[in-house]
Amino acid sequence: MTSKSALLKVILLGDGGVGKSSLMNRYVTNKFDSHLFHTIGVEFLNKELEVDGHHVTLQIWDTAGQERFRSLRTPFYRGSDCCLLTFSVDDGQSFHNLSNWKKEFTYYADVKDPDNFPFVVLGNKLDVPERQVSGEDARQWCRENGGHPYFETSAKDATNVASAFEEAVRRILALDDRADHLIHTNTVDLQRKTPPDPSCC
Amino acid sequence: MVHVYNCHPFSSQQIVQVEQEPGLVCCGGGALFVVATGGCKVEAYSVEKEGCPLICRFATMGTVKSIQHSKIGDYLVTIEEKNSATYLRIYTNWRYQAEEKARVGVRLLGHLLRGASVRGGVQMEIIEIPLSERPVAVACCSVTGDLLVGCENTLVLFTLRRQNQQSLNQSQQILQSTWPNTQQSSSQSQGQTSSSNQNVSILDFERSVILHLPKIKPKRVALCGGYVAVQTELEVLVLKLDESSEPKTAEESSDTNKDHLEDQADFLLLPRHQELLGDRAKDCDIAVTIEKTGLEDRGQYTLSYILFRRFTPDFFQGCSVEETQLHSLQLYPLFTSTQSASLEEPACVFCFFSLPNAGYLYSLKGGVELLSVYQYPEKVLEAVLTDYLLHVITKNALQCFTVRCAAVTARIEDPYIDTTMKACPPCSLEVCALRMQLFIGLRSVCVYGRHVILLSTADTDTPEETERTTQRRGLELKEHTMLTGIFLAVGIDPATTPALESLLSRPFLSRKWTMSSPKETSTAGHGWNLYVVDTVSPLTLYQEMVEYSQRYAESNPQAQSLRHLLSEAHLLLRASLLQTSGQQQHSEGDPAVSLQTDTDTAVQTDSQELEEALRQNCAQLGDCFSRSGQKDCHLALPYYRMSGLPVTEVMARNRPVPSSPHSYGPGFLFYLKHYLFEETEQCLSQEAADEVIDIFSQSEPSQLVSVCASPPMVNVSPARTMQILQHLEDTAGVSVPLTITMATMMLLLDDLPRYTQMMERHAEMLLVYGFIEESRLLLHGGGGGQHAHIRPTALTRQLAKSQPGLLVAAMVALHENNKVQLEQADQIFKELGCENCLQVDFWEAMLMASSQEAVIQELLFRVASVYIDRLANSEPPPTPSRRRSLKSAEDLINSCIHYGALYPWLTVLSPAQTTSSQHQEALHKLQSLLCGPSLSVGSVVPLLERLSEETLWGFSLHLLCSTRRGQYDSSIEKLLDRCPQAIIAYANHQLQDKNMVLWWQKLLPELCNRTRAASDNSILLAALKETLVVVAMETSPTEFLELIPDDGTASYFLPHLLTCSQKHLLA
Repeated sequence: MTSKSALLKVILLGDGGVGKSSLMNRYVTNKFDSHLFHTIGVEFLNKELEVDGHHVTLQIWDTAGQERFRSLRTPFYRGSDCCLLTFSVDDGQSFHNLSNWKKEFTYYADVKDPDNFPFVVLGNKLDVPERQVSGEDARQWCRENGGHPYFETSAKDATNVASAFEEAVRRILALDDRADHLIHTNTVDLQRKTPPDPSCC
Repeated sequence: MVHVYNCHPFSSQQIVQVEQEPGLVCCGGGALFVVATGGCKVEAYSVEKEGCPLICRFATMGTVKSIQHSKIGDYLVTIEEKNSATYLRIYTNWRYQAEEKARVGVRLLGHLLRGASVRGGVQMEIIEIPLSERPVAVACCSVTGDLLVGCENTLVLFTLRRQNQQSLNQSQQILQSTWPNTQQSSSQSQGQTSSSNQNVSILDFERSVILHLPKIKPKRVALCGGYVAVQTELEVLVLKLDESSEPKTAEESSDTNKDHLEDQADFLLLPRHQELLGDRAKDCDIAVTIEKTGLEDRGQYTLSYILFRRFTPDFFQGCSVEETQLHSLQLYPLFTSTQSASLEEPACVFCFFSLPNAGYLYSLKGGVELLSVYQYPEKVLEAVLTDYLLHVITKNALQCFTVRCAAVTARIEDPYIDTTMKACPPCSLEVCALRMQLFIGLRSVCVYGRHVILLSTADTDTPEETERTTQRRGLELKEHTMLTGIFLAVGIDPATTPALESLLSRPFLSRKWTMSSPKETSTAGHGWNLYVVDTVSPLTLYQEMVEYSQRYAESNPQAQSLRHLLSEAHLLLRASLLQTSGQQQHSEGDPAVSLQTDTDTAVQTDSQELEEALRQNCAQLGDCFSRSGQKDCHLALPYYRMSGLPVTEVMARNRPVPSSPHSYGPGFLFYLKHYLFEETEQCLSQEAADEVIDIFSQSEPSQLVSVCASPPMVNVSPARTMQILQHLEDTAGVSVPLTITMATMMLLLDDLPRYTQMMERHAEMLLVYGFIEESRLLLHGGGGGQHAHIRPTALTRQLAKSQPGLLVAAMVALHENNKVQLEQADQIFKELGCENCLQVDFWEAMLMASSQEAVIQELLFRVASVYIDRLANSEPPPTPSRRRSLKSAEDLINSCIHYGALYPWLTVLSPAQTTSSQHQEALHKLQSLLCGPSLSVGSVVPLLERLSEETLWGFSLHLLCSTRRGQYDSSIEKLLDRCPQAIIAYANHQLQDKNMVLWWQKLLPELCNRTRAASDNSILLAALKETLVVVAMETSPTEFLELIPDDGTASYFLPHLLTCSQKHLLA
């Protein structure tokens, strides 16, 4: 665990209310609270795990999905090793916004090679009976947008949560084998003007 | 020369139970922060609790390259790397991360969100500070909590902003009303209860100013109360950043620098060794420009250069060029004990930096000054300055040196410290090494309070490590050899110094060195260790140093080392006194200390103990200086004073051993003289006083007269002293003060004949000179100014009886030589019981002798009231015992200008001697004063009311007064009523010049009227006749005619008219 690459930054993005914080809580503390606060700004939790014989520390970044918190979350995209794009299967709009989230991430994280950056797509709230997004639609979107793995999860009853995060780790480790650095990052530059981003709703 | 002592400043060590190999270590706020090698996790351990338990553990966002803790704000600042990018981050509320699973908030600098507080619990927060350049070094100001970041070519200052609790609660309420669902209970307020919320304030920073230093590459930075220090490989530059409203900009200074640089650009200059202090530092070729970035503060920042130091690699021998690099830059504040640390800027700021073989300590405030240079015996890796010690690590030892910060602070706190009242060892006192404690493979050191934290990694010397655990004895031998080497390196051969030799022969770790956490498994298991080495309390170290000094005292009390060691001990106590007073103030702000209860009472008893120790130390320093040679011997006085020892105790300490040849030291004599001259109220016993006489008769016989005259010496045995004085006279010859002193001894022996014989050896005038030379022969006390109690000596009492004239003359002489004040003289005469006699003689004599106008007016009034008093109370028959005044009225009129000659008409008015001579004397003196030029008549008029006008003498005084006040008309009438026979004498004397007209305007008509009423009054007629003579002489015939009364007999006036006409014709 003394190796520098052991700390993996994974960022959860998606519309407000799709369950990003619940997913993180379920994964790290194995708890669920249906009356969770809105996330404000950015928070993270660490989780140590072993995937395929690799000991890693997963630093899971939870972000505020609401539009008004954009300026608070975007500076922290930099340095991410993996992005978990999250929507809620009972909310079609959250699914349609996935591409906006991907764009926002790619732009602010300054990803040099977006085609090879590991994204994982999560369709949460599987436990809710009234589905608006079918599994097929979601898989199709993943295929068309770069072949991202897709997981249908439920933070409430813990379905697939661990597998999703473990998959994120595998994706990162797989990349590490091929190239040292996929994300070229620099120090955060305050001077830089951010152009208005139309992609978020 | 560096003194090397072998004290035991370290009491015990603990080994921190760290699981992974520590990479970086820092401490603050009662905690030790450990970052595992290459890791992204910080572990905080409590250094104040036994066994250094883990407080909490939290993840960082990248690999930590540098970590610092700020006492103010209790935050951590890190420089981190992730994926080749460098970040600057602040970790706040880290104490709330006890449960590792709690969420951590992250925000950008300036984006202060209520996020953490909304949830009711307190959350650890990370503030990310974006920078346009790569951060290299960080420093926190221990006074303000501000943050200084050194980048490639800039220094960026961030001001700490705190959101207070109230505004926090407000924002919380606003948020709660905005979001209805926050009413519901939440599982996320986990970990912390809202009570812990109370003393948390939310931190943020404001980028307030950027300093551009294009020419240098900062390696380390430091910040303290506006002082900014930057260190490169071989240079140190200290600047002072002031916020002011003045429009002076930094461009000016940088412009001049640019010119200067252009001049130099023509030459190829090799950097040379440079030290530029104060204003001169701006001549260094490092240009600094200010870029102001703050939004809130309106003032301009001005920059001044404080210190510049440049080293060249070849300047130092013993280290290779590559190794010659500066390290351990530090700015260190000290507050005086009267300052409240939370409000004021520190009284002193020190700057420390170090080369591998020498450390430099500067004092920055009140004139930059190099305080000390630390010559290390071997290559030093890191150094940390604390209040009273400098800790340095070499590869194999923790060494601690003394510092002079307390000496500087003491002088700033008390500018009068270097006087006869107080003293403190000088700032320039050579520093010394107190201890060299061996460790293996030291890497880094940091200090929190009394805890020195050491990181050792013995990876290079693993065999040695195993040897250490198995072969304890071998190590001791090794220590011996090593320390001997060190002594030799600094020029001391232990073989020639028995004390050192015996010290070296002892096992070092035997006495005060205990391993409190002997987990051998952990030490043996891996090649690294994290030690918390506790230093002993300053008081304990002080006691050891005193104990140590006794060995020097026994072998050679004159040795410099003894004095040096005691001075070191003194400064140690002063430093800890500063520290304890500081602790009281800091305890409010410091989260770690505020948890402790009854800190204040502990601090109080501490400072009492420290003050007692300081008194003991002063006594020992007093001893040291009292025996030393001429140089610095005067320091015995202030040190003995500060010790609070009674003089008898000081004498006992200085009593020479019977066998020893040397006698009293000059410092002791200096002290004793000061003591005796200082008019203390405390009297010595006969035994002690006799000892004092012996001391001076042996060491400084010329002082014997003033010693005998000293008030504390009143109990001296007269017969014994007489012998000594007689011997002095035989050897040194006769002197007036000596004779008077001997006479005093005779008086104390009740031998009046021999007393008189002594006093008659010199003329009175010479005796007066004798008294001027030594006023304490007559007066004791009063040295402390006008209000101090003054009292007569036995000799004074005797003189009042036998030679009052001499006493009065002496008192006048003392007054005129400013040896006694008028009020003090009054006090003396009051004590002598001569208030109404000798005291009046003194006043009269003073009127004759003094030239001080203010005193004269006062005295004139006093004597006038005395005379009036005497006249008013003259009815009872005078007692036979009552002696005559020293000066008669006649004497005074003849010899004192303030006493005028009696007006002629007064003799007509005053009848022959009808009262006692004393009454007559008083009357004449008062009349004479009223006739004199100086007495202000108005002031005595109210007093004169006491005297009736019924008696003729009383009338004469009232008449004198009204005449002196110009009331001629009424005076003429009254005189004609009471004593017409005096009217012509009166008119002749008083009615002259401009008052001449009164002859005919007042006197003539008055006389005419009165004679008309009593035509047979021969006195009136004679007066009328005399008056007409005068009037005829002074007026013209027509005027004269006008004056003649209409009913007058022509024949009576005609002769006068004729005279008048003739005179007029002649004219």
